[in-house]
Amino acid sequence: MQILLVEAVLLLILIGITLSIIFGKDLMTAVITYCGFSFITMFLYIVMGAPDVAFTEAVIGVISTIYFIMMLRSIDRRCK
Amino acid sequence: MKKKLTVLAIALILTLPFTFLDILPSIGDVNSAPNKHVSAYYIENAISECNSPNMVTAVIVDYRAFDTLLETTVMFLAGAVVLLVLARKPSIKNRIVIPKSKRMHKDKSGNPIYKTVNKDVMITVIQPLILVYAVYVLFHGEVSLGGGFQAGALIAMAYILDVLVIPDKKSVFVLPKKNSVALAGLGPFIYTLTGIICLIGGGMFLEYAKLPFPVHTAELHSIGILAVEVGVTIGVAATIITILNAIMERVTFDDDNY
Repeated sequence: MQILLVEAVLLLILIGITLSIIFGKDLMTAVITYCGFSFITMFLYIVMGAPDVAFTEAVIGVISTIYFIMMLRSIDRRCK
Repeated sequence: MKKKLTVLAIALILTLPFTFLDILPSIGDVNSAPNKHVSAYYIENAISECNSPNMVTAVIVDYRAFDTLLETTVMFLAGAVVLLVLARKPSIKNRIVIPKSKRMHKDKSGNPIYKTVNKDVMITVIQPLILVYAVYVLFHGEVSLGGGFQAGALIAMAYILDVLVIPDKKSVFVLPKKNSVALAGLGPFIYTLTGIICLIGGGMFLEYAKLPFPVHTAELHSIGILAVEVGVTIGVAATIITILNAIMERVTFDDDNY
């Protein structure tokens, strides 16, 4: 199994973003970082040659971020 | 303790794919199993059988149309389940999405002034662009990338922008909760209706070549794919708007005034 250099860089960025989401204390930061996660995933799909899936990922990433931020206002933002 | 378990799980998941590195085929490998059997048939016959230049659309809504029908139904179910889960209804009038700290600044006519979003730019420039692009993606999805799902999500995004940017205005186009659920059900209905019309023409369910219209076979495929994608668009857009309505009407925000 071969991995391109671009893919390797994108996957490493994804791992870093995931770690920051897990260990972050602020839920708002986690939600916005999750938006970045779907952004990087979009590039990964383009590199893999699936622009249809990348398009869907871009649109759905934005909408889910909006919903997460709206729902965050009903709970405590800080993680205990 | 929980953090140690998390680190352990991440380490396990990260080491797993590198352990079985040789089993997985590389991307675009000619000798891997899916590329030998299914892909070869699609690549050879998709354009001549479905008359759709975009092979992804041909596979999704022509070869596997029944699959996509059930996916659209799952979208509708997701919207209905969100309404069920958020069944508790707080008694709040005039819900505003802007936080209380930004709500204090008001202009002469009483409309709140927002520091973050320029609503003139949003309404006059960005929203029509999104809608035009959505229609383009829907009707051009057969040829280029895109299709029903993306068009529906874009239409829903324009509606969300409308609700978020100008909360108090009398909107030109408002979709109440009951109507949005009904509209979400209309999407799978249009999809199924296309299949039943194919049955009337003497073919199998969703066999577009047997549609009872007096045009050429290639045009019949185009009509079938377009009808199906219109159904998917309506279903997806109305489902996302249903979830937005459920959140706006039934969730207690922490800075609400009762």
